[in-house]
Amino acid sequence: MLVSFRWLQELCPVDADVAEVAQRISLAGLEVEAMDEKGENLSGVVIAEVRARRPHPKREELTLVTVFDGEDEHEVVCGASNVPEPGGRVLFARPGAVLPNGIEIAARKVGGIESRGMICSEAELDIGTDVDGIFVVDAHSRVLPGTGVAEALDLHDVILDVGLTPNRPDCLGHVGIAREIGVLFGVGYEPKKAAAPRRTFVAGRSFQRGEPSTELSPLWDNQSDTVDAPKLPAISVEIADGDRCPRYGAALVSGVKVAPSPFWLRYRLHNLGLRVLSNVVDATNLILLEWGHPIHGFDLARLRGSKVVVRLAKAGEKMATLDGVERTFTADDLLICDGEGPVAVAGVMGGLDSEIHDETQDVLIECAYFDPRSIRRTSRRLGLHTDSSHRFERGVDPEAIPQVLASASSLIAELSGGAAATTAIDRVAVPYEARSIRFRPSRAAQLLGTPVSKLESARILRSLGCRIVQQSDDTITANAPSWRPDLRREVDLIEEVARVRGYDKIPTAVPRVHPSEAGTPGLLRFVDALREAAVTSGLYEAVNYGFLSIDDLRSARVSDAAVPLANPLSEERAVMRTSLLPGLTAAATRAQRHGAAEVRLFELARTFHPGGDVLPREDTVLAIALAGHRSGWIGGERPFDLYDGKGVIQAVVDRVFGQAPQLVQGQVPDFLHPKRSAIVTLASRPIGFVGEIHPDVGDDLGLIGRVVYAELDVPGLYELSEQLGPTQARGLPKFPAVVRDIAMLVREEFSAGEIAEALRKASSGLAESVKLFDLYRGDQIPDGHRSLAFRVTYRDAEGTLTDKRVDKVHSSLAKLAGDRFEATIR
Amino acid sequence: MAEPDAVQTFEEGLAEIRGAYAEALRAAGDEPELRLINAHFVGPQGDLTKLLKLMPKLPGNRRRELGQAANTLKQEIQATFDDALQSIHRAAREAELTGPALDASLPGRWQMPGRLHPITRVRNDVLDIFVSLGFDVADGPEVELYENCFDKLGFPPDHPATDEHDTFFIQGDSSSDAESVLLRTQTSTIQIREMMKRQPPLAIVSPGAVYRRDDDATHSPMFFQLEGFLVDEDVTFAELKGVLTLFLRRLFDEHVALRFRASYFPFVEPGGEVDMSCVFCRAWEGDRTRTAECRVCKGSGWMEILGCGMIHPVVFENVGYDPEKYTGFAFGMGLDRIAMLKYGIPNIKLLYENDVRFLSQF
Repeated sequence: MLVSFRWLQELCPVDADVAEVAQRISLAGLEVEAMDEKGENLSGVVIAEVRARRPHPKREELTLVTVFDGEDEHEVVCGASNVPEPGGRVLFARPGAVLPNGIEIAARKVGGIESRGMICSEAELDIGTDVDGIFVVDAHSRVLPGTGVAEALDLHDVILDVGLTPNRPDCLGHVGIAREIGVLFGVGYEPKKAAAPRRTFVAGRSFQRGEPSTELSPLWDNQSDTVDAPKLPAISVEIADGDRCPRYGAALVSGVKVAPSPFWLRYRLHNLGLRVLSNVVDATNLILLEWGHPIHGFDLARLRGSKVVVRLAKAGEKMATLDGVERTFTADDLLICDGEGPVAVAGVMGGLDSEIHDETQDVLIECAYFDPRSIRRTSRRLGLHTDSSHRFERGVDPEAIPQVLASASSLIAELSGGAAATTAIDRVAVPYEARSIRFRPSRAAQLLGTPVSKLESARILRSLGCRIVQQSDDTITANAPSWRPDLRREVDLIEEVARVRGYDKIPTAVPRVHPSEAGTPGLLRFVDALREAAVTSGLYEAVNYGFLSIDDLRSARVSDAAVPLANPLSEERAVMRTSLLPGLTAAATRAQRHGAAEVRLFELARTFHPGGDVLPREDTVLAIALAGHRSGWIGGERPFDLYDGKGVIQAVVDRVFGQAPQLVQGQVPDFLHPKRSAIVTLASRPIGFVGEIHPDVGDDLGLIGRVVYAELDVPGLYELSEQLGPTQARGLPKFPAVVRDIAMLVREEFSAGEIAEALRKASSGLAESVKLFDLYRGDQIPDGHRSLAFRVTYRDAEGTLTDKRVDKVHSSLAKLAGDRFEATIR
Repeated sequence: MAEPDAVQTFEEGLAEIRGAYAEALRAAGDEPELRLINAHFVGPQGDLTKLLKLMPKLPGNRRRELGQAANTLKQEIQATFDDALQSIHRAAREAELTGPALDASLPGRWQMPGRLHPITRVRNDVLDIFVSLGFDVADGPEVELYENCFDKLGFPPDHPATDEHDTFFIQGDSSSDAESVLLRTQTSTIQIREMMKRQPPLAIVSPGAVYRRDDDATHSPMFFQLEGFLVDEDVTFAELKGVLTLFLRRLFDEHVALRFRASYFPFVEPGGEVDMSCVFCRAWEGDRTRTAECRVCKGSGWMEILGCGMIHPVVFENVGYDPEKYTGFAFGMGLDRIAMLKYGIPNIKLLYENDVRFLSQF
């Protein structure tokens, strides 16, 4: 909310500058987010008197005006149509002045005539909005030419932008913030009585017999002239739903003349961000900003039956609001109606037909208390968030109604030349009851960790407006003030005491933490280990949004049974991802477009799948994408392929498990290349897959080149790690190994892995390892064949191997290769 | 059968070899050449080897003498060979030590490690601090019940407190019913889940992705929060201040000052926000000019860093704890924001674009 420091000082003067006030209220919970000094940037703009004016010789829409700025006469070209007669005073920017919009005024030629300076409008000086051209100083003003505009128009102020939390509706008006300042600076604050209107009348017969009313005259600060009561039909107010509208007040101002507001009021509203309309409407807005209590003015002549009925809408009932939009209501919307139908959406916006207009003579001012939840639901349903709904949905002060009405009717009468009724209708359907709250200083001390005295607590609570109704040795019972709906229980009062004293008064202590025996769940630690392993293995971590488009899923040929959002920001982000593939491969492609030759990414995040118990199932997945070329040492680049995928998976798993996983043929997802992919297993259990992306899928996703993609099932891996337990150490071999090679020509259909495994198994336990060390296709190798060379390491744990024994086993391996794999030993 | 010619051939052969070997071996320029020359004398096809094959043809009375002569020659050749080899090695080493240096500016040869995302790095830094203080780590689902995200945390129904949580609902659930399903807007949901599951004393931190319907220059619709809370008997606001002071000093700088401002979050009371002295202009050093020009704290010397407070008794009531017996504190922070502050990241969007040029900086 925008707050005028000047106004605050008028309400509750304190001996502190704006910076100090801003800091004190910020620390107490009213955060000042910005400060804007007004009237400070207008040097060079002065009051000038019009001395002469004549038409521009060439351009008929322009006038040549001679002004006297207190020192010299200047002739300027002016485009406005409202240049006053000689003797009138205007706002004049001298050459060299810089306007708030950054424009520097210089002498320049307009239509061939030199213009030395500029006659300004309100908008050009950012002191208002333009109605009809330049600003003309009020003829009654005695201000002399040459006076600076800030002094002449009394422009100095500082506007604070206060970020209010939703628990503090009391501070949505200047009175509330003044009250807060009174508390924090210890000076106290009591809202002043409203200035009395010059003319009042006794409402008497203006209200229907039996209407409950409240006297406004005691709330005004002095006497007024009494005029004859106007002849008006008797007004009545009926509340049909007291839960939604516990209290409804209505004051009357008769004989108004709707006209523009005086400058001071326009300026104040302008600075505080409100649109300026007319004296009556501007007055209601000023009251809103003063009291934080929205009021609404009805044109009495347009209230059919001179009657106000507060009731729930009938489903489907319609009315056009002030903004010209026809609204349709539900049975949950509270309406203000006249004798025939709706005239306002209670607490949200007035109706188009009953609004104040230029010919309005009699104004009925509504000041009510509506149920906050009801107003909020209606406001949200209609998509109408207004200054009014903003306050009602947070909770206005129900007990301030007579005072607000007194201020409002006086101000409106004063500005519009009308007369205010000395009484107002005050219908109470459900009386306000102050909440009584028990406060224990000992509890406050226990919670805050610092002593809290009963005396000080009572003083603070009183200063906040609480009424102390009872005190015992260790308890204070206080009634919360009607403007603080957020004070409901003891802890609320503890907070009040803490924040008024200042959180800085609370000492700093280190708690005794009881570490749990279980500690952080193993899965979470495992996830961290996996992430570290991925990084150690050369991968960069990506973080993608959890949502994407259904088309992303379909193009990637992953499950499109996705969790859909009801209110996505766009179709591009309308469903929760079922796979990390689209996001990760898209990131890889973007990196390639930016010129990255070698992209190695991983993401460890969740995928979402419908069909959980109440909530969708969330799976944690580690995904890896490799794109582009693996760089060799200077010029040794080659495109990533399955083996790079395999290598990185092995590196990651090996780092965590101390053993590498296997790749086996099996059913891989559709998005992988059927011939360049495999299932990843560890301890014979499938834990994921790896492969090149299917070229068709790559095309659909717009990938560049062959992209290698792998996924590991994180909870599955974790479960396996729990089963396998930590690596168990083996003793080192005591006897030397013997190494023999075996090379063979074999058909492509036999995998190197199965041959190696068969050789190892056939070695009667002597082969410690069988490793492929050469693979050759080409010259002298028949089609469909390849040459494989394995290095077999033999070792006997029990003793030194003899050549003879090795020879025998090694030749049996050669025979096995020949028999089982039809291999020709080379 | 002895052959007199054989003796002559043998003797001449030995003499020829004796006269030639030393010069030949010493003339070798490198090791392969040396070995080749050596083989020419003593290899399987070498001259001396061939002579030795004549031994059976020598007459018995000379065989021993000539055999010894041949053996001596062989040893001499071996000694000369060893000597020459050593010279060659020494010369090669000398040449390497005095010759041109390797071009050390050529690229290194190793698989370099990758990088953690800056959010993960910051998350790890934060978790390390809290874990060392005795906190456990916990997590919870990103798709949540309305009840856990709002009701149980004390958000009043139909209250503007939810306005800052512009929520994504799952299709079919767009209302504020307790059973509605949504994307969690805050990691405070984990507070509820852990308290429903466990009994005090509890000290838990929980990082995770959260979602809000904001997408502009300074907001990302998904971002990361970290929530922490401690529940026990007699936990105080003073301790909250102590823990957060310790935490921020360890994370940023041991000199940072903290300022606790009153604020409002429905699930804590008293509630507050914490400002920390600006780490960009190092405001604690008191250089006023530098602070005045700081674009991060805008000259104030302070930066907003986290929200906190004493857990509201209504939250304890909602999870079945006795609010008279237990007290606790909770705090929450944006990991994105901390990452941005710590690494000077100018724009939140950079965190989610996964541009390798960005990721490779951390």
